[in-house]
Amino acid sequence: MIEVAGLTKRYGTFTAVHDLSFTVRPGEVLGLVGPNGAGKTTTLRCLAGIIPATAGLCRLAGHDVAADPVAAKRTLAFFPDEPRLFDYLTVRQHLAFVARIYGVANHEALAEPLLAELEIADKADQLPGELSRGMKQKLAIACGLLHSPQVLFFDEPLTGLDPLGIRRMKDSILVRARAGATIVLSSHLLHLLEEVCSHVLILKQGEKIADGTLADVSARFSRGEAGVSLEEIFLRATGGAAPVES
Amino acid sequence: MFGALLYLRLTSLRNLVVTRLRRLRQPKYLVGALVGAAYFYLMFFRRAMGARAAAHAGPLAAGLPDDVRVMLASIGSLVLLIIVALGWILPDQRAGLTFTEAEIAFLFPAPVRRRTLIYYKLLNSQLTILFTAGVFTLFSRGGSSLIGGNAWIHWAGWWVILATLNLHFMGAAFVITRLMDNGITPWRRRFTVLGLIGLVVGAIVVWMWRDLRAPQAADLVNFHTTAAYLNTLLASGPIPWLLLPGRLVVGPMLAADGPDFLRALGPALLVFAAHFVWVLRSEVSFEDASLAKSEKRAAHVAAVREGNWRAARGALKARPGPFRLAPSGPPEVAFLWKNLLSTFPLFRPRTFVVLVVAIIGVGQWLDFDPDRRAALPALAICALIAAGYILFLGPQLARQDLRSDLGNADILKTYPLRGWQVVLGELLTPVAILTAALWLALLTLLVAFPPGRTPWLTPGLMLTIVAGLVPIIPAVCALQLLVPNAATLLFPAWMQSMRNRSERGIELLGQRLIFIAGQLLVVLLALLPAALGAAAMIFATQWLIGLVAAVALAAAGTLAILVGEVAVGLWWLGQRFEHFDLSAELRP
Repeated sequence: MIEVAGLTKRYGTFTAVHDLSFTVRPGEVLGLVGPNGAGKTTTLRCLAGIIPATAGLCRLAGHDVAADPVAAKRTLAFFPDEPRLFDYLTVRQHLAFVARIYGVANHEALAEPLLAELEIADKADQLPGELSRGMKQKLAIACGLLHSPQVLFFDEPLTGLDPLGIRRMKDSILVRARAGATIVLSSHLLHLLEEVCSHVLILKQGEKIADGTLADVSARFSRGEAGVSLEEIFLRATGGAAPVES
Repeated sequence: MFGALLYLRLTSLRNLVVTRLRRLRQPKYLVGALVGAAYFYLMFFRRAMGARAAAHAGPLAAGLPDDVRVMLASIGSLVLLIIVALGWILPDQRAGLTFTEAEIAFLFPAPVRRRTLIYYKLLNSQLTILFTAGVFTLFSRGGSSLIGGNAWIHWAGWWVILATLNLHFMGAAFVITRLMDNGITPWRRRFTVLGLIGLVVGAIVVWMWRDLRAPQAADLVNFHTTAAYLNTLLASGPIPWLLLPGRLVVGPMLAADGPDFLRALGPALLVFAAHFVWVLRSEVSFEDASLAKSEKRAAHVAAVREGNWRAARGALKARPGPFRLAPSGPPEVAFLWKNLLSTFPLFRPRTFVVLVVAIIGVGQWLDFDPDRRAALPALAICALIAAGYILFLGPQLARQDLRSDLGNADILKTYPLRGWQVVLGELLTPVAILTAALWLALLTLLVAFPPGRTPWLTPGLMLTIVAGLVPIIPAVCALQLLVPNAATLLFPAWMQSMRNRSERGIELLGQRLIFIAGQLLVVLLALLPAALGAAAMIFATQWLIGLVAAVALAAAGTLAILVGEVAVGLWWLGQRFEHFDLSAELRP
């Protein structure tokens, strides 16, 4: 469960996110969309406790990110758009390191099926420098999933993946959601949202334009037209579309 | 087409200069530039100006005597010959001119002739060569009162040498590529080149053996008689012919004055021109190798910018962990384990044990024989120098902490750890490395000064000092390392530019000097309470409980103060880390 109330993030006089409130329940996948500079990544980074919010409340699985960051972080996994890996640790050593940080006692038993699921078991003794972009992404995901997080944040999760990798990533997100995880992902790829997300939140210049289920948001911006694509809805919501003639 | 390339080069250069000048508007760069300029003035220009004044006033204004100048030309020529020989022996890859990735993307698909690209690279390399020649001039001008000439002659002379060498290496690389294309492997070429060198050297040795007299005592009376003998040797038989091209190239550099320089410049430029024609006539495909080289270079630059020196050297290899990392236990140990993997493979507990055994063994061996025992003080001095070096420069060298992990701050901050735990974990590796090195230095001192040799240093007192220093050393190391890590979190933009060692400039040199001075000052201030407390305790209590007990008490007090300072520092830095946002810090 993710509860956000009045989240605001300012950099000096610039407001990156303004008074953002929403809730995501277990099993739901929320798609965070918006034009460049809308505040998607900033929102995710605040939720993951990477940067402190200027104001507002973020609760992950009942833990306040600001008041009890350690407990909150124990429940989450954050996957940045560019996989952040340690150059001198092999795939297996990454998992050993993360296991110690999170205190995952049986990490070896957990790691093997995880690596197999992500199809990097044969790369277990290789360094990140020897892996392709997609493989690095998979390793970052394996590290994030090792401690069985309840809350998952994905920032542009499909960047750099090949078609098969994209398919697997979508399946993986859906499988975790069905298993009860709470997921927020930000992406510019609207077809991903249509296929994966149960809910959508549209941001523009740090402010919420709309949120709700895909059907709700579609209904709000379709102006009664049938079969309006999500792309068109996004453009209308963010003011990027030409006005529809009535 | 060459006009466009010239435009690219000159515009890039102009933009670089403008950018560097513009950033002087930021105080950190301006102050850095001023400090850097002061450093250069004090280190080089003041000396050079002093040397010039002395040269004008003194009897050495005419420069070197002719015999010494001839000898220097021969030695310089010999050095050039060796460098050139290495250029034929060492390379094991095809010729690849170094282009940036942008140059490859724009120029390789463009309708540009290969020869034009070579022109462009030669033009490009001249900037680096001119800069290098300038740096060499700073050093060679130090002895200008002896060598003669002025700064411009030195600069131009160095340019002739470096530019000719650059052309020679390029030509040699093209020939090597052609040989490889014809199936001649690098090892076959090396054996052939070494064989030829062996033949020439062997012939010269035989000739010298038969036709030259061995040096007599009279030849070695002073510098001039030695120079005279060497000049006779180097001017005899085939040697002058062998050294002739090199002598022509170093000639302008050794010129005493303007007319002398102009006389030497003509033949040197002829050698340069011959090389130029050789390179341009080499029709060799260098595109594939250039592509590979540029990718390697881009990876190197990226690694350097991240402060990842092992990756920058291309030395990353998977290897087992330094110790078994259990899945449970203090999470800070995971950082020690991780960061030890980023250092040299030698930084392992077993290396420490081996060195301990070796130091004790060497100490015992030296102490065993009264003749050898005289070497023990020298060993102690070496240990003291090493300890001083580690204490003052160690924190700049052992950087496996937040300084090298700042790029991963986003991931580190998602871990379920308090800020102080991350900072402590990050500090553990450099603390362990520096502590181990200082403990080894301490052991060496102990071995060099066995208890009982010095009257006042009783075995009890010595053991107390050592027992006190053993736990104090890691606390001091931690305290020292807190400073650069605090600077990383407090001034990330500054540290970011300093961290990037591929970036050069007088302002960055100045920034680094300011930082080293600042670190020294902060550490001395932090050590002051502990030092004063220890002195006060020894002074106040030794009359009551004796010197040994007073030292023990002072050591315990010092340790308590240092641990307290480190704990406060860790807590404060942890708070800072928890509120740290690199993206906000680096906003312009």
